Amino acid sequence: MYRGREGQWAFLLHRISGVAIALYLLLHVLDISLVMLGPDGPFDAFLAFYHNWPFRIGLLMVIAAVVYHALNGLRIILMDFTTWGVKIQRQLWYGVLVLTTLIGIPVLWVVVPQILAGV
Amino acid sequence: MASARPRTYAEAREVSTTNFELAWWVFMRVSGLILVFLVFGHLWVNNILVDPADIDYAYVVNRLAQPGVRIYNTFLLFFAMLHGVNGLRYSIEDYTKRASRRFWYKVILYTVSAIIFVLGTMTLWAFTYEEMGAAVRAIGVTP
Repeated sequence: MYRGREGQWAFLLHRISGVAIALYLLLHVLDISLVMLGPDGPFDAFLAFYHNWPFRIGLLMVIAAVVYHALNGLRIILMDFTTWGVKIQRQLWYGVLVLTTLIGIPVLWVVVPQILAGV
Repeated sequence: MASARPRTYAEAREVSTTNFELAWWVFMRVSGLILVFLVFGHLWVNNILVDPADIDYAYVVNRLAQPGVRIYNTFLLFFAMLHGVNGLRYSIEDYTKRASRRFWYKVILYTVSAIIFVLGTMTLWAFTYEEMGAAVRAIGVTP
């Protein structure tokens, strides 16, 4: 890794989360489109399979990726369209990490009991 | 292509003939801002208000019967697909060194994405293959 400090970690995480979300999106649209095969089609069985806890934890990671990607995207917009954004990009990135955690805690509070109820 | 590959900003500027990449650069920021609201709303409804484990065929039928949900999801699908596929394109451009491989990866990406985009739009607006068939016949195209 090049010694790019925070800015480069922000970029790398943005890339990884972005690719993960995009691949999830393609899969998600594809599996929802299975409803077109009707109530007797494979839709319910397929979704029941997705409701197993390993996939629910995977879904939690997708949510975390979305929250980080969204907040860091806002940081990029500030960096590109304001005169002061680049100057404080490092502080903004720590703000992104703190906000991601702050949003993550109540999400876990709701979702973890959902997952445990299904185990 | 390989022989005249631009090495500096000035060389790249000379090779470039369109503002294609600038347009995508702007699109990523505008669609990104819109998607923050659309995606957070989507996650709020389907992951927080509703336990995803309760989502089944009946739930999806009920939701997609509402015109507002259809319109919301149409915007979500449109912006998310363009933003996501363009992001995947950036990754291909950045990490695939051979131009021929880069080309074929993009052909595969665009083909798969186009099929999935059409399937998603059909799900939102036709819902079943029967409805889609009826709609296609209604406009006078016989398959």
